[in-house]
Amino acid sequence: MGEGVELTRIIAGCKSGDADSFAQLLDAYARRCYGYFYRLTGDRDLSEELLSVLFMKLVEKVGSYQGGSFESWLFRIAANIFHDHLRARKRRKKLLDAQRTELGSVPTGLPKSDGKDEKLDRLQMQLGRLDTDTRELIMLRFYSNLSFKEIAELRSEPIGTTLSKLHRGLKKLRGFMES
Amino acid sequence: MKKPDRDNLRALFERFMSPAEAESAAEDVQAGDEMLRAHPAPEPDHEMMLGIKLQMAARLSGRHRTVHHLYRLAAGVAAVVVLSLIAFHSRAPQSNPGLSHAALIPTLIWESDDISADDIKLAYFTSEIRQIEAQVQALEAGESQDAGVGTLDEVEMELAQINTAFWKE
Repeated sequence: MGEGVELTRIIAGCKSGDADSFAQLLDAYARRCYGYFYRLTGDRDLSEELLSVLFMKLVEKVGSYQGGSFESWLFRIAANIFHDHLRARKRRKKLLDAQRTELGSVPTGLPKSDGKDEKLDRLQMQLGRLDTDTRELIMLRFYSNLSFKEIAELRSEPIGTTLSKLHRGLKKLRGFMES
Repeated sequence: MKKPDRDNLRALFERFMSPAEAESAAEDVQAGDEMLRAHPAPEPDHEMMLGIKLQMAARLSGRHRTVHHLYRLAAGVAAVVVLSLIAFHSRAPQSNPGLSHAALIPTLIWESDDISADDIKLAYFTSEIRQIEAQVQALEAGESQDAGVGTLDEVEMELAQINTAFWKE
């Protein structure tokens, strides 16, 4: 990805409201951000939606970017968007459960993963066996290109905790993949 | 995705575990990274990217219009404020008669915020003046028992003293 001067130029263009600069930013980061969302949700349509939300947020918030690691800033927003999605899904699930209990009906055959008939690859299926936090940590490190120090700061936890969780998570995932 | 040399994994792990454990942990993480690289996620398609670019352009255009409207609104408000100030200053000399009334009131009372204390003082001075006025009227009408030029002079002096005390306040 365009680092240094090139990225600075693109961000300056975004701050001045230049649509072409935003398009360049999307070209530069869409693949990684989309991969991050896809590996967390396993749903292409939903990942597209979250990617769109992310870049709409960038349009609104790029003025507040004060320098420092842009990727750290970008993936912090991406992580927040994913958490918002999780919270919204939890609320919807609670509501549906409550309605189902009220009606006393049997399961309505709701799909398990966001209503989409995804043909999941093997890695995606095994990732689903990890808890959300570990999955998120592994994907954040893989897609964001951040150092452990930056990831630990982003997650507001000691670097030792981040290292340990990532090590355990990856080892577990390899175990699942090899079994 | 991840640059292999981004972190010196082994050195990092050695801060929290023995060198042998650190080496093993670093190898586990590198093997995990290899596995993730071997299974790339799907990529966003061209149409999706175009759709997002269009959405961003539309949002930017909308924001530009909003900013433009805000500038116009601010210019309008500024014009109204300037016109109001001009109108106020051009009318200011005509409002001098009001100031002459204010000048009749003692400065301390006029500027004071202590309304209750000021009211008491005003009531006191008013009653004093009324009492003296009544005495003067009684003297002029010859109703006073101690009628005489001396008494009238005394009352007039008392009135003058109260008047002076009033303006001192």
